[in-house]
Amino acid sequence: MDESEDVPKDFIKLKSAKLSVDEVSELVVSPSCGAVSLFIGTTRNNFEGKKVIHLEYEAYTSMAETEMKKICRDVRQKWPSVKHIAVHHRLGVVPITEASVIIAVSSPHRAESLEAVKYCINTLKASVPIWKKEIYEDEYSWKENKECFWANSEK
Amino acid sequence: QVSVLYFARSAELAGLRSETLSVPQQITSLQLWEEIVKAHPRLAVIRDQVVFAVRQEYVLLGDQLLVLQPGDEVAIIPPISGG
Repeated sequence: MDESEDVPKDFIKLKSAKLSVDEVSELVVSPSCGAVSLFIGTTRNNFEGKKVIHLEYEAYTSMAETEMKKICRDVRQKWPSVKHIAVHHRLGVVPITEASVIIAVSSPHRAESLEAVKYCINTLKASVPIWKKEIYEDEYSWKENKECFWANSEK
Repeated sequence: QVSVLYFARSAELAGLRSETLSVPQQITSLQLWEEIVKAHPRLAVIRDQVVFAVRQEYVLLGDQLLVLQPGDEVAIIPPISGG
């Protein structure tokens, strides 16, 4: 008699352990949905000719979670048929080829979940207070998303 | 007295992650920045790239008047790079 079983849910997590695509997609699977769309952000091994050893992420955790909840709220306003949303972001050291972020969205039909996933990652890059440091062989660099609305990008 | 949080490059330049600072209850965001730079002059180099998060809302450095309560969290936010 539990009517809340399939209520739309947001699953937001910041964690330092390795992210799991299986875990994130299983969170959003729903009997009423025919589509689960997924985005995985992975770490590249090079930037401008330099070899990237690994990435390090840090976050203003409480605000990052709040901003991620705002993104979920916006998604539900724009695509009301979206069922569940999961956004997992890794913190700390992320080795090459491992996932830094996994976003999964379920909806009855595929159009909405595909659009919603794209919106989630684009908006996350513009508004969630998380920072990435690229570690090279003999130096490092704090990255800046071009989506960041206050950064000078013409340097 | 507010809590100032430093992240990413700003934490490296300031040499710390958090501290309490005594500031007037009403202060513009630019004046707040200037108070912080007085305490940590090396932060001056990132002035054009940072914003604040005051009580977890983004605030640009400028004339915006902030009304701060004791214990409020103010974070220095360098350009973000999540995802």
